[in-house]
Amino acid sequence: MTTTVQPPKKDPALKQFFFHREKKEHVNAYLGGALLGVVLFLSFFITGNGLGASGGLNRFLVFFEDLVAPQHVNLTPYLLAMAGGSKNPLDSWIVFVTVGVVIGGFFSGWLHGRIRPETGKGPNISNRKRWLMAFIGGGFMGYGARLARGCTSGQALSGGAVLSVGSWAFMFAVFGGAYALAYFVRKLWN
Amino acid sequence: MTPFPLPLAEIFLPIGINLVFLMVGFAFGYVLEISGFANSPLLAAQFYFKNLTVLKVMFTGIIVAMVLIFAASAVGLLDYNLIYVNPTYLWPGIIGGFIMGIGFIVGGY
Repeated sequence: MTTTVQPPKKDPALKQFFFHREKKEHVNAYLGGALLGVVLFLSFFITGNGLGASGGLNRFLVFFEDLVAPQHVNLTPYLLAMAGGSKNPLDSWIVFVTVGVVIGGFFSGWLHGRIRPETGKGPNISNRKRWLMAFIGGGFMGYGARLARGCTSGQALSGGAVLSVGSWAFMFAVFGGAYALAYFVRKLWN
Repeated sequence: MTPFPLPLAEIFLPIGINLVFLMVGFAFGYVLEISGFANSPLLAAQFYFKNLTVLKVMFTGIIVAMVLIFAASAVGLLDYNLIYVNPTYLWPGIIGGFIMGIGFIVGGY
């Protein structure tokens, strides 16, 4: 990378630049939080909308639902509003935010040398079980996020910053649910 | 007359608006990644009081954004009436949040 440090591998410079970047630590939590706050503020300030994640993913799902079962979409008011008739569920600001999140996260991961295939898990659980749990947990999160009209980003973070009462109640419920169950699933993480 | 939020539809073509949101998302993904939110054991660690990074990042973010939003409104830069404030649906929020919390600790994200 720099002229003073001996590169660990004898790669050509370009290959090293793209594929063997030096791994950096995450930033300080309060710095990361302050930057997150500035990004969230700028989102509201410039566009009038907060940040979101589950809304975008939801629309991808509805897009495929509309391909396989347009009849069902046209009979369900919730889906109709997004994909009824000639409406394209992907034609929404939040879809672009979601795509941007993936690109931005990937770029940062690459820049700081943190991209590699791995299964993030506790030491006492197999990869197989971890993946199964990830799918089960994801199912709960998807259901809960739609019921609550938002996820940790769209409700807790964005709604929290503009002082929506419902968002604060949601936030405490999320942490309440996770802390309440944490003891019973401690084998997953410890 | 408050200049912000910008009347995006009057300034940009649809593709320009999409690009703005793409950049907002990019910045969001970037700050989440540098804070370690891509790491599920780190996200789960807060629920065992082992590493409170995620809580610190989240609540610092909320407070910083909150102060900037209300300060910008107070000095007349931002029209609070034009920004999206999540409507309150108390019980769906609480029950949905509880279910999400369960998914959070089981799934790790």
